[in-house]
Amino acid sequence: MVRDFLTLAGSSILHRKVRSWLTVIGVFIGITAVVALISVGLGLERTINDEVAKVFGVDTFILTPRGAFGPGRSAQGSAQYALDLEWLRAVDGVATAAAVRQRTAFVQGQAGPDGRLTQGFLPVVGLSPELVTSFASFIGPLELEPGGRLFSGGETLVAVLGRDVAARLQTGVGQTIVVAGDGDKPELTLAVIGILAASDPGSSRQGFASGMSTSRDTIYVPYDTMELLWGPADDVLITLVRTSPGRDVEEVAARVQAELRARGSNISTVTYSDISSAIGTVTSTVSAFLAGIAGISLLVGGVGVMNTMYTSVLERTREIGIMKAVGAKNSHILSIFLIESGLMGLVGGVVGTLLGLGISSVASAIIGRIFEVRVAVVASPSLIAATLAGAFALGAVAGLWPARRAAKLPVVDALRYE
Amino acid sequence: MPLLDLKGITKVYSLGKTTVYALRGLDLTVERGEIVAVMGPSGSGKSTLMHILGALDTLTDGVAMLDGQSLAKLSEDQLADLRGRKVGFVFQTFNLVPTLSAQKNVELPMIFLGVSRRKRAARAQELLAKVGLADRAHHKPNELSGGERQRVAIARALANDPEIILADEPTGNLDTETGATILDLLRRLSKEDGKTMVLVTHDPEAARIADRIVRMRDGRVLEAMAHG
Repeated sequence: MVRDFLTLAGSSILHRKVRSWLTVIGVFIGITAVVALISVGLGLERTINDEVAKVFGVDTFILTPRGAFGPGRSAQGSAQYALDLEWLRAVDGVATAAAVRQRTAFVQGQAGPDGRLTQGFLPVVGLSPELVTSFASFIGPLELEPGGRLFSGGETLVAVLGRDVAARLQTGVGQTIVVAGDGDKPELTLAVIGILAASDPGSSRQGFASGMSTSRDTIYVPYDTMELLWGPADDVLITLVRTSPGRDVEEVAARVQAELRARGSNISTVTYSDISSAIGTVTSTVSAFLAGIAGISLLVGGVGVMNTMYTSVLERTREIGIMKAVGAKNSHILSIFLIESGLMGLVGGVVGTLLGLGISSVASAIIGRIFEVRVAVVASPSLIAATLAGAFALGAVAGLWPARRAAKLPVVDALRYE
Repeated sequence: MPLLDLKGITKVYSLGKTTVYALRGLDLTVERGEIVAVMGPSGSGKSTLMHILGALDTLTDGVAMLDGQSLAKLSEDQLADLRGRKVGFVFQTFNLVPTLSAQKNVELPMIFLGVSRRKRAARAQELLAKVGLADRAHHKPNELSGGERQRVAIARALANDPEIILADEPTGNLDTETGATILDLLRRLSKEDGKTMVLVTHDPEAARIADRIVRMRDGRVLEAMAHG
């Protein structure tokens, strides 16, 4: 019987071609917008995840000050933490680790043209050489001015200067600066081996983790040098840990977090999946917001279906009377009208889905070109199935009220209707 | 047991503040196989009677029995089922569904009874052949003449092999000659299959095919007389 109702509904739709198409257009514009936005949103999410995985590496986790990442982030608590890097490197499952320490120190440079020493309080950052050798993707390329070099493992009495610092201390490559440490430590004379080049302001290749983007007014020294000046690390900003091949990152991260906290380091571990779920939350929120806006046009489409069906019921009042006179029950009439409005929704859904996917692949290509990444085009079967089911439901729901009206018409009145 | 047995039928409409008595205690019985013509001036309640006979309308008071069933006791769905199985309508304005072909229009009553596609098609073709429209099966109503449309309507009325055919001014929209052929067709088909028929009309020609004429005025039956 459903098949017969489909035929009846179909012949009625085809009988009013122009109006049916206008109604369908109203639906498919809405569906197109929703599908395109959701599809682009999912594509961006996947692309961002891929990019994060590329930079971050799924085998890597970072140690941040406790509460600095994720929900419940608070301004309370120190932004720096204590860390025993040598202990961390020896933990089972850890392949390599690198950390960044930061202090503000009293620094003396060279004498200026007037013979006075330049000096002042400046930020000093200690970098593990492994940052460059093992975690290059995190910090991006460190460009040095010609004639300079970065420090390598084992060196201690060396420094790389930010450009502004070099100018203020009147110090170039081959000269020295003097850095004062804690009261009971000797001050150290460090050889300047490189000066950071001015970074290209237009470059999008920034260091990944906060606090590591190269700064023009910072003095960079080897991590071990920090220990000579200030003793064991209690001023770490961030630590990167790579796990041994085949080890479960989450497990190692959880163990490291528990043991480091027991040793007094106020840290949290952040893994790839933490970052990706945080990004996912943001992108899904944005996607949902956009889809919500698109949903408004879908709603308008639904009202269009309702209007068409309502008019159709009025126009076909007599026809409804005829069908009832020859034995149609109220439920039959209801079904025929619901199928009719659902069909219009479904056709709108099919056209809208195809068009939406088309638009999203064009949009992905454009976005990809602008940001120089390959944006994935997501056309998941579940999205398509959900959209089509939704479109049919939209049509049917919009047709519900007119259909109920049609079903409840008294036969005699309907037959008399002109 | 008569096929139709009406006792004290009253039908009251309210039109705004005024109430209209369409039927005032009407009594009527129709035997099986009988052709009865109901005649009367406009406003005598003929159409209302027809609607009540065909379970299209409810009655205000009285008892209406069709084939031993009291119409007042049936639910809306049961009434729809009864219209589908036991009653075949032929209207003055044909009342075909404009979007469907002649064949589909004849199939319509069978669709709602859930008759299978193949049986339906065969039955519709058989009936269209009976009314002389075998070659017009795939035409839509607007491609058919008035007489042809009424033939389709007659075929549709017979689709579910009903107990009774109710014809409401079946010749009202047709010229005299076409009307006469339609009346002959109705009589022939009723008599062939032994169908009961109630014919509402004020066309004396139409009354010619009846076994009995019932005259109505002001919502009551005036007289019942045998007709040769």
